[in-house]
Amino acid sequence: MSVVGSFRRYALGALAVGVAYYVGANLGFILRFPPATPSVMWPPNAILTAALLLVPPRWWWLYLLAAFPAHVAAELGVDWPAPLVLALFATNCSEALIAAVFIRRFSDEPARFDTLRRVVIFIVGAVLLAPFLSSFLDAAAVAAFLGESYWVVWRTRFPSNVLTELTLVPAIVMLVTAWPAWIRRAPRRRRVEAAILAVALLAVEIVVVAGTEDVGAIPGAPGTPLAFLSPLVLWAAVRFGPAGASLSLVTATLFAIWAAVHARGPFIALTLGESVAALQIFLTIVAIPLMCLAALIEERRRAQEALTERLRFEEELSGLSGAFVHVSSHEMDRAIEIWLGRLGNFLGLDRLILLRLADDQQTLAIAHSWAAPTLEPLPPASHDFSSVTARIRTKQPFVFPIPGVHPDEATRPDDPFGRHGIKSMLIEPLVAGGRVLGGLAFVAMVAERTWPEDLVQRLRLFAPIFANALSREASENAMRANESMKSAILASLSSSVAVLDREGRIIAVNEGWARYALQQSATPEAVVDLGANYLDTWRQAAREDTQHASEALMGIKAVLDRSRSGFTLEYPSHAGTGECWVAMSVVPLTRPEGGAVISYTEVTERKRAEVEAQRSRQELAHFTRVSTIGELTASLAHELNQPLTGILTNAQAARRFLDATPPDLGEIRSILRDIVEDDKRAGEVIQRLRDLLRKGESEFRPLDLNALIRDVARLLGSDTIIRNVALTLDFAPDPPIVTGDRVQLQQVVLNLLLNAMEAMAESGEGARTVVVRTQSTEMDTVQVAVQDTGTGLPAGTEDMVFEPFYTTKPAGMGMGLSIVRSIIDSHGGLIWALNNPTRGATFHFALPLARERSV
Amino acid sequence: MIEREATVFVIDDDPSVRRGLERLLRSAGYLVELFASSREFLERAQCDQAACLVLDVRMPGQSGLELYESLVGGGYDIPTVFITGHGDIGMAVRAMKVGAVDFLPKPFDDEVFLDAVRGAIAARSRSRGDGKRRHPESFRSSSQE
Repeated sequence: MSVVGSFRRYALGALAVGVAYYVGANLGFILRFPPATPSVMWPPNAILTAALLLVPPRWWWLYLLAAFPAHVAAELGVDWPAPLVLALFATNCSEALIAAVFIRRFSDEPARFDTLRRVVIFIVGAVLLAPFLSSFLDAAAVAAFLGESYWVVWRTRFPSNVLTELTLVPAIVMLVTAWPAWIRRAPRRRRVEAAILAVALLAVEIVVVAGTEDVGAIPGAPGTPLAFLSPLVLWAAVRFGPAGASLSLVTATLFAIWAAVHARGPFIALTLGESVAALQIFLTIVAIPLMCLAALIEERRRAQEALTERLRFEEELSGLSGAFVHVSSHEMDRAIEIWLGRLGNFLGLDRLILLRLADDQQTLAIAHSWAAPTLEPLPPASHDFSSVTARIRTKQPFVFPIPGVHPDEATRPDDPFGRHGIKSMLIEPLVAGGRVLGGLAFVAMVAERTWPEDLVQRLRLFAPIFANALSREASENAMRANESMKSAILASLSSSVAVLDREGRIIAVNEGWARYALQQSATPEAVVDLGANYLDTWRQAAREDTQHASEALMGIKAVLDRSRSGFTLEYPSHAGTGECWVAMSVVPLTRPEGGAVISYTEVTERKRAEVEAQRSRQELAHFTRVSTIGELTASLAHELNQPLTGILTNAQAARRFLDATPPDLGEIRSILRDIVEDDKRAGEVIQRLRDLLRKGESEFRPLDLNALIRDVARLLGSDTIIRNVALTLDFAPDPPIVTGDRVQLQQVVLNLLLNAMEAMAESGEGARTVVVRTQSTEMDTVQVAVQDTGTGLPAGTEDMVFEPFYTTKPAGMGMGLSIVRSIIDSHGGLIWALNNPTRGATFHFALPLARERSV
Repeated sequence: MIEREATVFVIDDDPSVRRGLERLLRSAGYLVELFASSREFLERAQCDQAACLVLDVRMPGQSGLELYESLVGGGYDIPTVFITGHGDIGMAVRAMKVGAVDFLPKPFDDEVFLDAVRGAIAARSRSRGDGKRRHPESFRSSSQE
């Protein structure tokens, strides 16, 4: 499609050349002296030469082909033999080809005449060499077919073609290449000046050159009217450069020749032939230096412009590099846009786009852009540039379309850039700190644009400035986002948070803190004044003698002087409505200046739940104790029955002794002593029972574990007899002192002993023995083992026996051992069960020994 | 009275109960021998001298019932009054079956106790009058009279 598209474009060009060729040829016929064959001026050759300079060599064939019918059509009217017509076409083409090949070989810009070098190459190649060589062929053809004198033809054709090439080629090329831009861009004053010049030129040509009056008649005037043209062509050359010079020369030449041919004008005194030759020589001699002069002036002007532009560029660059330094990140966007606009205007671009590479290192999107006033701006993120991400990552500037790829092929409709009408684009990667952040795209949309190496190098200087701006903006945004995230988190906390400096002064509080302070003004945690010393507040509270106040004060101080890495305290706060519990947490501020962050959270609900759970646990423990004692009824009855029997028997015996005369008072006294002992004994049983049945707050105090176990064993004394169990106590020599609740630990021992005895109820054979051992370990713990000779635990259930509702007894609730474990847990101990190697199982529990070994 | 010469053996693990029973029996004119356990009884008792046995059922080690069964099994035929801290029907039946004269749940009245001892000694005298040893079965039938 692109090949077809460009073919169409070149075909239209070729058609235009064909038409021009035909018109030019007819013009050439007008400008010749019949009967001589060569014209004074022969435009077709110059038209072909100009075309070949303008189009790429691979399309030349098309233009030559288009010229052929025009040539034939024009020359048929002259009544020449066909072979001559063909031969002349060949010589015309050869002239254009020689000129084009030569110029393309030596000139850096074949279609430009704005430096002395380019003009000289053009003069040597197109003006001198090509007509010189082609005239031999032309003369040969004319001599052969028309019988004219070879050298006469050559002598006529050579100067005429020199003049034509010299004046017409630059004029045509300039009209095609520079005219449209000039028409668009030239300021009004220049246009007016050009118009005045054109009018003056035409006036002089009509009046003086083509006029019938002999200017020589004017006293003191130059002998030739052409002298009057000199100021005007000089004006054109100086003010309008090579284009002005060539255009004014063309008109002057045409008029002069027309006048000469019609026996008018400057050389009226000469014969026709001489007049034409003189005209040609005169015009050629004037035109060559004039062209050179124009080129020199143009070159000079360009150098001047380049210098000015260079200075402005440097100025822009220094302005830009200073622009972002003092801009804060939230003004950065605006500053970047302003500077994109300035740069875009300055560089004469259509668009300037700042692309940002996303964090995924793949997506490349518009971050900022500027567009020339006539174009629609591109909003940020509106276009995907990711297709050039890979190239941007190379960190080297590149031109898009890539040079060497034909523009028509690069700007296919399916290409994102082509679709947006981007004709050519230079992308400078933005690199900061070794990381590619994005790119700066210099975009031309109206016309293709070249990106010479020196321009690329200069534009390259802008990239780091924008890169630094982007990088700074990104890091400041990240910092601000981080900052706002932190403050949002702080604000959202329901806890009260304050930051203290090293001396304990409040340097910041969150909203929760301020809110709490408003509600409760009388508590230490409610101080809100920034700058107030928080330690003083707690000192005051400590003087008012609350225990937690001094504890809190010590804790905060310890964190502030870094002797502790953190501190927490839960205490009841009585301010405000009702009792509430507060958890205080102090953590050090990790910064060189020190300080601490202190936070308060209300934990009343949690505390209430804890108390509730504690109460439930105690009730459950009590319930299981009561039900355990229910199992002991028979044994307890026996235990009480013994002293009661002793009392009754002894009392009745005493009565009988009193009846005797004389009563045996000694006997009666010892009876009474026995009765008292029995009564005490019964009392103790009841007391132990009441202890176990007691319900209430747990009370932790130091206890002798041996004594405690002995008490429980005594309570079970009758039970062991009833069950025929031998209970052995094997105690550590030093009484192991633990800190605990007597009733709860008694419950543990009672449950384990009953458990052991029940385990043996089903095992028929063998001695039924239970051994209770206490043993202090090296780990500052005491270990208690209750070993039985029962049936043992089913394999694999050693850990399950402590789970709630796990039971092997038909009537068991499965709570006993789970309560035992919760009691041991709450005493900071461990409990476990193992089967014995031979028979039965052993339950172990370990408790930490109390620090002070005193009851 | 014949009773005054009779010796009653008391076997009970509770020292206070033991002493109380000894005093009651002494006030009624019996001679008393005290033992704290079955084992002590077997070690030092001279059964021939015993007119009557007062035996606690539940004791650490060998229980009273087991002791009595072994005595009967060994051919010793001593009239026995069982006393127990928590008597139940099953235990009483078993005691009577093996030849016990009486079965008293603790605590008991002095008269009831002394009547039981008296009854036991009387039973022994009757069986001595027959001039031959009795089988447990015949003992049971006579006790049912």
